[in-house]
Amino acid sequence: MPESPESPLQEDSRGLKSDRFSGAVLIALACWIAWLNLEFPLGTLADPGPGYVPLLLAVGLGVIGLLVALFGGGSEPLRGIRWTEARRALVILVACAALTFALERIGYRLSVFAFLVFFLGVIERKHPLAVLAVAAGFSIVSFHVVAVMLGVPLPRGPWGF
Amino acid sequence: MLETFNSLMMGFAVAFEPKVFMYAVAGCIIGTLVGMMPGLGPLAGISLLLPATFGLNPIIAIVLLSGVYYGAMYGGSTTSILMRIPGEAASVMTCVDGYAMTQNGRAGPALAIAAIGSFFAGTVGVIGLMLMAPTLASFALRFGPPEYTALLLMGLFVLAYMSGGSMLKTLAMAFFGLLLGMIGIDVMTGYTRFSFGLVELGDGVGIVPVAVGLFGISEILMTAGQAEPPKVQKPKLRELIPSREEFRLSVGPIIRGSLLGFAIGIIPGSAHVISSFVSYGVERRLSKHPERFGKGAIEGVAGPESANNSAATGAFVPMLALGIPTGPVTAVMIAAIMVHGILPGPMLIEQQPELFWGFVASMYVGNMVLLILNLPMVGLFVNLLRIPYAYLYPCILAFCILGCYSVSNSVTDVWIMLGMGAIGYGLRKFGFDLAPVALGLVLGPMLELSLRQSLAMSGGTYAIFLERPIAVTMFGLALLLLALALKPVLFKSRDWRADVGLDDKTDGAPPGK
Amino acid sequence: MKTRHLLSVLLLACGVAQAQDVFPSRSITMIVPFPPGGVADVTGRPTAAALEKALKQPVAVTNRPGAGGAVGNAAVANAKPDGYTVLMALSSITVIPEADKLFNRKPAYTLDQFAPVALVSADPVILVVHPSLPVKTVKEVIALARKQPGELSYSSSGVYGALHMPMEMFLHAAKLKMRHVPTTGGGPAITQLLGGHVTMTAGGPAAITSHVKAGKLRPIVTWGAERHPNYKEVPTFKEQGLDIVYYIWAGMFVPVATPEPVIKVLRDAVRQAVADPDFKSQMAKVNSPVNYLDAPDFAKYVDADAKRLAAVVKVVGKIGN
Repeated sequence: MPESPESPLQEDSRGLKSDRFSGAVLIALACWIAWLNLEFPLGTLADPGPGYVPLLLAVGLGVIGLLVALFGGGSEPLRGIRWTEARRALVILVACAALTFALERIGYRLSVFAFLVFFLGVIERKHPLAVLAVAAGFSIVSFHVVAVMLGVPLPRGPWGF
Repeated sequence: MLETFNSLMMGFAVAFEPKVFMYAVAGCIIGTLVGMMPGLGPLAGISLLLPATFGLNPIIAIVLLSGVYYGAMYGGSTTSILMRIPGEAASVMTCVDGYAMTQNGRAGPALAIAAIGSFFAGTVGVIGLMLMAPTLASFALRFGPPEYTALLLMGLFVLAYMSGGSMLKTLAMAFFGLLLGMIGIDVMTGYTRFSFGLVELGDGVGIVPVAVGLFGISEILMTAGQAEPPKVQKPKLRELIPSREEFRLSVGPIIRGSLLGFAIGIIPGSAHVISSFVSYGVERRLSKHPERFGKGAIEGVAGPESANNSAATGAFVPMLALGIPTGPVTAVMIAAIMVHGILPGPMLIEQQPELFWGFVASMYVGNMVLLILNLPMVGLFVNLLRIPYAYLYPCILAFCILGCYSVSNSVTDVWIMLGMGAIGYGLRKFGFDLAPVALGLVLGPMLELSLRQSLAMSGGTYAIFLERPIAVTMFGLALLLLALALKPVLFKSRDWRADVGLDDKTDGAPPGK
Repeated sequence: MKTRHLLSVLLLACGVAQAQDVFPSRSITMIVPFPPGGVADVTGRPTAAALEKALKQPVAVTNRPGAGGAVGNAAVANAKPDGYTVLMALSSITVIPEADKLFNRKPAYTLDQFAPVALVSADPVILVVHPSLPVKTVKEVIALARKQPGELSYSSSGVYGALHMPMEMFLHAAKLKMRHVPTTGGGPAITQLLGGHVTMTAGGPAAITSHVKAGKLRPIVTWGAERHPNYKEVPTFKEQGLDIVYYIWAGMFVPVATPEPVIKVLRDAVRQAVADPDFKSQMAKVNSPVNYLDAPDFAKYVDADAKRLAAVVKVVGKIGN
């Protein structure tokens, strides 16, 4: 493993291991599901109710989570995982969420146009003409293909777009 | 035999009528285009086109729809291979090795082998359909809930061969997928489970939004933010054609995949989606170099793609011979001929010979058209990779959202897709494989339902699984598979350590330190 | 002075123009809460096509499937009540709120969020058995079920679904016990019966016709008030001494706050639509009998059906408890 300047070697092999961490998350998830599952009758082995299989699966997930954590001593340390692309990933997710939120409110073409202008113009800093061409072209052509030719009623905004 | 031949000739006469032929070609083209849209798969394709067929005659309607169906599967493999975006559950496995091949600069061969494998599988499927439809169909009816349970359990054991990573992590992801499958209304009792009060979750989370999110969106999240954008590929003509070695490696998987897919496909129910997973598992198990899988093994594209296509054809067997839907796709097809006043049923072949044989012949034609259409297109498709990533990924994202939304006009599906994208990103950072999630999600609801249906049938005794010959045979096979999977664990301790992730080679820290 | 005069004239003209801006002035969306190809869809599309002719405006069908129709129904219940969003619902619209009540769920919608427009079609279900079962009449079915309590089994389209309700009505009326194997829809329910994995099911006439003709299923009795035109030889439950009636129906609804004049336009349009020859021939092709009722009668019909089904849901209660 290449040494990184900000974390000395000793630190690198110590600390929380990534598999220990993910094992713990799996256990937590399993517990949460089992707790949610309390609401449903379990039934019996001969007549399993709606809560039977989910409980079995949650227990299975918990046990495996435990094993992942137990055997995870040799895995990469948690702090060894690089999150260099995480910021961009977050930006992408937020932008997609904004698009999804806007879709049925301001219409398909307008929201996709804004989405592409944001990515190409603000994030990737492409030439404004190219940005406009791609954004307008994409939103209009894809709308035409999907809404007009395939007959999917894509949302239109209050201005008819 | 001669009679079959004569009928088939009549079918070809129907299929080559200019108008029918034109619609077959149009269906293939529309299907390919629809399938290439991320998130839109065969089911979405034919559901969208169904209303348009109401005004056509029934033969043309079904020929058009089956063209769309096949075309969408071809198109779906294209996006799986080039962008890691599956259009349906069955192409999840294609994403794994197909996309890895693209990253290795072998997108051309992957696409070509997928097209050739699909063609071969489609042809095997049509021949099987033609010769054996009535016989197979009555056999397929004997698959009740207990047999189904056995089949699905076998499908679950494929997990053992599914990924090269840690077995524990694979299992964890499978359980995660199975649990995702528990969301929604419980068919047996009507309880709504884990829906958090959202009506839209009543039917559970769809496999398409989950698969597109886990594979497609997470890939973009991983790639877009890298300091250096992925290099634009400039494929040369020579690199588009599979090498002799790649052809040699693909022959076995294509043949095995075709037969396996057809066998699974004829069973009523939605089990045919597991055919590609099973095929992948089988090929990895049989391979002399299983470590190549997941890193761009051509067998991992050839097998599942073939299995997927012949399963799709196999699914038509119970539909045409008995008039029963084998899944959502065939249900739509049945609707397409029912609106013309034709009732699909046991007597369809006798009463509507032009329809049946015209349909069979047009499937040959459609397969041929798709091969001719798609092989030269490989060059064109691969050129999509020339588009700089900065332009490509925002468009792919918009496409994913558009495709996901249009399937059932549901924003909830889009939210699921985005959520799964985030989860997939996180899981990949921690070294978890995502394909088992998809398999679990597909199997979970079916397995639970068929198990509980079996118990409802028997009044609560498990003996029902031992009283029925097909079920017993399949449980036997499943046990054998399990034993094979466990063999290295029991007899070779070193393999076992590698399997459970004790002995992580990349880290090199000796255990017990 | 002049300008003010002009202005008031203009305003007046606008007002008149607005009053004359009659419904419908743009395209109407018909929500079908089931996937393409289902009963609601094959009823909704010919209706939409015939409505287009009557209203002289496009009527676009949108499928909003999910949760047994609850998603699409809820979408219309909460839509803008302007008549531009209409719903083609199946009889399950009355059962879903009852099931929600049973499970103490936040209801997706309530029945009083809808104003009925018209009943378009109604079809009784028919009890079919596997031909290997040695019974020909409903009396023999009852006798066999009494002899083997809890041994016979039936498949359905899902609990509280369109094929489960009639079976429960029958079992309750005849005081029988049977095993229930729910499936994921009408098609799979029949497949289970064809394979002999269960002994009977309640099937829609259109879905069973070809199998009955081929001798793979045997019709026993129908839930209709009178005999089904395509099954003249099959008696009704009433003839057999059990007072149960059940129809799967499809009808048009709008959000309850829709203005009365708008509903009137839609009612007239549906009346014209069901008389349209194209519509009739299309419905005949899918074996769906047209059964038209205008809003007042339809409202009563829905009310009666809702009460009857609510009673069945209460009898069935929560399963697995």
